[in-house]
Amino acid sequence: MTDATARGFDWASSENDANLRKRKRSQLWLQSLGIGAISIAFAMLFLLVGSLISTGYHAFTQTHLELEVTLDPDLIDADNPNSGDYRQILTDTMQVQFPDVADDRAELRKLTSILSNGAQFTIRDRVVANPDLIGETITVKVPVSDDYDQLNKGLIDPDTPEANRRLKDDEIAAFNQLNEAGVVTKPLNWALLTNADSRFPEQAGLKGAIIGSAYALLVCFLLSFPVGIGAAIYLEEFAPKNRISDLIEININNLAAVPSVVFGLLGLAVFIGWFGMPRSVPFVGGMTLALMTLPTIIIATRAAIKAVPPSIREAALGVGASKQQVVFGHVLPLAMPGILTGTIIGLAQALGETAPLLLIGMNAFITSAPETPFDSATALPTQIYIWADSPERGFVSRTSAAILVLLTFLITMNAIAIFLRHKFERKW
Amino acid sequence: MYDVNKSEPELDQTETKIAARKVQVFYGANQAIKDVDIDIQDKTVTSFIGPSGCGKSTFLRCLNRMNDTIDICRVEGEIRLDGQDIYAPSVDPVQLRAKVGMVFQKPNPFPKSIYDNVAYGPKIHGMARVKADLDAVVETALRDAGLWEEAKDRLDTPGTGLSGGQQQRLCIARAVATRPEVLLMDEPCSALDPIATAQVEELIDELRQNYAVVIVTHSMQQAARVSQRTAFFHLGDLVEYGDTDTIFTNPQDHRTESYVTGRIG
Repeated sequence: MTDATARGFDWASSENDANLRKRKRSQLWLQSLGIGAISIAFAMLFLLVGSLISTGYHAFTQTHLELEVTLDPDLIDADNPNSGDYRQILTDTMQVQFPDVADDRAELRKLTSILSNGAQFTIRDRVVANPDLIGETITVKVPVSDDYDQLNKGLIDPDTPEANRRLKDDEIAAFNQLNEAGVVTKPLNWALLTNADSRFPEQAGLKGAIIGSAYALLVCFLLSFPVGIGAAIYLEEFAPKNRISDLIEININNLAAVPSVVFGLLGLAVFIGWFGMPRSVPFVGGMTLALMTLPTIIIATRAAIKAVPPSIREAALGVGASKQQVVFGHVLPLAMPGILTGTIIGLAQALGETAPLLLIGMNAFITSAPETPFDSATALPTQIYIWADSPERGFVSRTSAAILVLLTFLITMNAIAIFLRHKFERKW
Repeated sequence: MYDVNKSEPELDQTETKIAARKVQVFYGANQAIKDVDIDIQDKTVTSFIGPSGCGKSTFLRCLNRMNDTIDICRVEGEIRLDGQDIYAPSVDPVQLRAKVGMVFQKPNPFPKSIYDNVAYGPKIHGMARVKADLDAVVETALRDAGLWEEAKDRLDTPGTGLSGGQQQRLCIARAVATRPEVLLMDEPCSALDPIATAQVEELIDELRQNYAVVIVTHSMQQAARVSQRTAFFHLGDLVEYGDTDTIFTNPQDHRTESYVTGRIG
């Protein structure tokens, strides 16, 4: 049995045991490193989403007052309901709520400031929509101003010394009185999605930003999808393989790595500077984002085309299909899942892109949602940027809420990408 | 020089279908085929044999200009199909490939239904204007390929769902559906089991009645079984070309002899 060791190893030897233990230990070590890395990544993700939700959830509700408002005909011009002293109407309403301070004008003004500055416009809009209401008493739900909203949500602690509080004791008392009267409600804050931006946090919403982003992405898609696929097909299927096509390939790969702010500068110089297009409009934003998305789509499409088995190409050529028939009849359908995935990932990137939009002015303060891609608008990421920059307390939670909205859109887009890939792949 | 006689309607077994003269093929600077002269006869199975890398597949792919798709590949010399130079500028390689069908080493059906696989060629060449015509073309092609009985009830199922041998016969059906004049087969049985191989070989023998069949094979038994003429390639040279019986029993060149007796290759 002397040749047992010569053949390699002995199952039972202690040397073999040690070797085995060593190998298993290093394998375990590698595995635990991997698990550790994944755990850290997940912890970071939970931290991010957790912190966003814990600050952002406040913005999903908004404190309102449910008030009986008498639309005094003396204060509204029946012929032109747009002009009317709606502020006075609100003051009168508050007077009803606080009968004991009825005559103190300064005190009344202070009480009226419990209501959002935009409350008068809420009432005006209802009257303009239906002038018959003049003279009637209607029930309206109007948002309270930011400070009182914070108080109602427990973000202002009445126990802190009065000097360190934004709301003084008498203001808190007045709000508590309203609370006891049962007029304070805290419904879901649909205004976050249905209002455009506003200086007042309680009135500010994302409608303009969402529509602006949607227009910008639409323009971006319409430009970058056909151009990107066309470029990829040409480079992959038709272009001669020489120095020039190598140069183009290297440049496209480099373009994908160019910082987005550079594309913003390009958009500013070319689209706005040379072509004289307007600032802050989603159309220009979309074109700028398309510049960024193009390399991503080209690279994804080329990879997808390359992944189509050459045997399919040969089979089609072998029965006498022309190059164009091969590409459109066989290569593109098989490459479609990859192309769509790449495109949606590219668009998702574009959706979250901030810097280029800042440069072309899509961070302007715009209080109405755009009607067309050529109206001034913000986009979701730039709206987040604007709100993060705003000093009012209410914008803190709204910034987080806006980020959550943006993340929701991103997750939805990625889900669509996965869905499309499965759908097209199943079609053998 | 070429045995092309258009005025004679009855094609006899020895009529030349493809005539190649001084064909040289280069991949970049490497010469893959050196001065090959060969006359391939109609209604005959011609097999190309030779060790790996000898250029037999390369030469086969010259016959329907599949080499055009390889950028660095360059073909010199003259190849005539029925007297027409197929590398002439007036010849469109796409149309040529409808005349000279090809079956590949690995079965490569399109990821479409069996019907669509066979109907694709006739469709793109406008051979059938109405659905009924197309149905007839598909049925004929599948019958020619001996697949009709197995496939007639599942024409709309994926071609990729067939077994390997069935897939290869589907590819043959796809190739004959365009009514080509020549059928090129590049090691058509190398990915098949013996039973499927036997079926395909039987099929090749039947196809001989209507087509000039050129088959590249690594199996000398297969060459002996299916072909009437055999060409032996070695290092880019056409060493010997003649009747299959002669090549296998009485080769003139010592290299051929070494190969068929198993000493090289």
